[in-house]
Amino acid sequence: MIELLAQTGLNAIYAAAYLSLVAVGLVLIFGVMGVINFAHGELFMLGAYAVVALYSGANMPFLLVAAIGLVFVGCVGLLMEVSMFGPLRDNPLGGLVASIGFLLMLQALVSMGFGVRMEHVPPVTQSVIEFSDKVRLPVQRLFVILAAVVFLALLWLFLKRTRFGWALRASAQDPEAAALQGISARQASMIAMFIGASLAGIAGALTAPLNSVNPHMGHAVIVAAFIVIIVGGVGSLEGAVFAAVAYAVIHTVVTTFWDGVIADIVGLSLMLLVLIVKPTGLFGTADRA
Amino acid sequence: MFANFTAGGTTRRKFLKSASALAGLGVLGAQLPTRVAAAGEPIRIGFLAPLTGPVAAWGKPGLDGCQIWAEWINDAGGISIGGESHPVEFVSYDNEYDAGKARTGATKLIRDDGVKFIMMLGGDTWPGAQPVADRTGMLFSTLLPSDLGPDTTTLIAPAEVHPIYNVTGVEWLAENRPELKTAVMCAQDDALGLPSVATYLAAFEAAGISMLEDPLLFDPATTDFAPVVTKLLADDPDIFCLDTAYADYVHPITEQLFQQGYGGQIISCTADFYEQMIEKTSVEFMEGFVFQFPDFDDPALNADFINFRDPNRFYEVYNERHPGEWGAVSWEYASIMDLWKEAAESAGSVEPDAVLAAMTADGTGAHAFGTADWWGKDLFGIDNALVGNWPVVAIEGGKATIKEFKSIPDWYDKHGELLKKHMAAYNQMWDQR
Repeated sequence: MIELLAQTGLNAIYAAAYLSLVAVGLVLIFGVMGVINFAHGELFMLGAYAVVALYSGANMPFLLVAAIGLVFVGCVGLLMEVSMFGPLRDNPLGGLVASIGFLLMLQALVSMGFGVRMEHVPPVTQSVIEFSDKVRLPVQRLFVILAAVVFLALLWLFLKRTRFGWALRASAQDPEAAALQGISARQASMIAMFIGASLAGIAGALTAPLNSVNPHMGHAVIVAAFIVIIVGGVGSLEGAVFAAVAYAVIHTVVTTFWDGVIADIVGLSLMLLVLIVKPTGLFGTADRA
Repeated sequence: MFANFTAGGTTRRKFLKSASALAGLGVLGAQLPTRVAAAGEPIRIGFLAPLTGPVAAWGKPGLDGCQIWAEWINDAGGISIGGESHPVEFVSYDNEYDAGKARTGATKLIRDDGVKFIMMLGGDTWPGAQPVADRTGMLFSTLLPSDLGPDTTTLIAPAEVHPIYNVTGVEWLAENRPELKTAVMCAQDDALGLPSVATYLAAFEAAGISMLEDPLLFDPATTDFAPVVTKLLADDPDIFCLDTAYADYVHPITEQLFQQGYGGQIISCTADFYEQMIEKTSVEFMEGFVFQFPDFDDPALNADFINFRDPNRFYEVYNERHPGEWGAVSWEYASIMDLWKEAAESAGSVEPDAVLAAMTADGTGAHAFGTADWWGKDLFGIDNALVGNWPVVAIEGGKATIKEFKSIPDWYDKHGELLKKHMAAYNQMWDQR
């Protein structure tokens, strides 16, 4: 039983890691820009396809490809900001609808470019850290866990210790006051979009060898990410991280000891429970509700 | 730690309201007419299956196979109806494995395209097309006989008796590896997974193999299978059964089994693109992996009783055009067309009722793997499934190899009651669905 619990714990840490990256990016974009980016799952998918094209297809080194995926998806995020969210800044619903259109467009483009079938991504390494016969952590999964820790730490440092980070936080908390202080809302939006998209991109790239890569893979991720940010509190980055960990642990434990379908029901029930007991989410504030 | 981020003007309530719009997003359909080489008034055949999305692997390769079939038939003069030759042409509609789109597609294919026969994957999409079949009398085929029922007499399952043929893999294992005594199973919770679960449970019980726990059902949206595998390996099973899972599940589950150190027997309905699984694991790990769908370059398919036309050449042409894409259904829709063509030529008509009558006239049919019987009343309420032999395939030295053709009716004669018991327990009998 101890071994089963230990392996379950390792599985949960991995799930929490990639989910945190996706959810935090989504929260950052929503927080600064006020846009619900439905295409965020497709940004995750684009990161995975960067790996398909450059690692599987062109045999480039995986870590280099992951870095390229991060920058590439960040640039796609910038493109979204410049072409859609910026011009629709005064129309929050317009941004939402535009993101749905962009989602469909990305799916169609990837389907046209790569086909609809699951893509094969060769393993980066088959090494496994063996704690015992039944407690094992594949090194590929360890990459994802370490990357999540590093990128979330860097984001924290950026937000707390840099002028751009302060500007971002100011824009999120009170856009008008921030503008009066000379902070460009547009610039803050572009930075937020680049970072948020990059986080989704790196999550997609790093998990590509472990996932079924197909043009629709973003759907499952975005559903889980929405549950996470609703539970954590819409607009709260720390809430997103906390909720990602909580959701991953609960979902993994319930799947392991009961059943995957029950785990989904429990996950959604958790979201409903939080909405009933604390409608602002665990880390949300009442003035934002 | 982090700051709270919520832009002015956008509220949590607005976010929640907008988030509810997430469901219902789909992608574009497709229509891909085939090349027609023969002259004359073309006979149009509908292909209504998932061509995009996660289930596309059981639709698109079948359409690719049909296009080769059509070229071969048209180059040989087409289909002869009443002494006149007609080219054959496929009209496809992507149902995205969605019942609503299947209904729209069936209506369009009949009303706008004038097709004379519609081939489907079936499963979750059949309830969408069924009212159209009942209303129009159009002849439909499914790969999944679990769609059959006495209310729709124009639905046939002439190629694949999914999931009943899965019993042959378990029977073969029990005969050839009698030391395997325990099993676990996981499956996606859908119209493909559940009847297959019931079938494997019956097959294991018939073979004297104990289930260590109830089958683990997972949401079809699952992407991380580590918890599923961890749970099932905790019981130290001799056999890990992957049921009838899509390639998007079979691959990551198999990879997880490898990464979590499993060393036992694996059995699965399919192993599409198994070369990729070998690359993600190892030749040694995949040795002996048992499934049900051969590569058509297998020499065993040159036996006299095989009715599929030139299987080795078909496989070669298919792989030239679609390298690395051969899968479970690549040949199946084409084999249905062999039956349809023979029946239409025999009837001298392409009208659905005439073709169906000719197809089932003597109670037998030329199935790809040998002569088979129209069967199924006991299980499906109607004798519209063509059932005979099915191959058991194992991976040996990195290559799929047919180990034996086994008789499904023979198994059913001995263990039919077990199958009905488990089908009923999962509400999969025709009168329960």
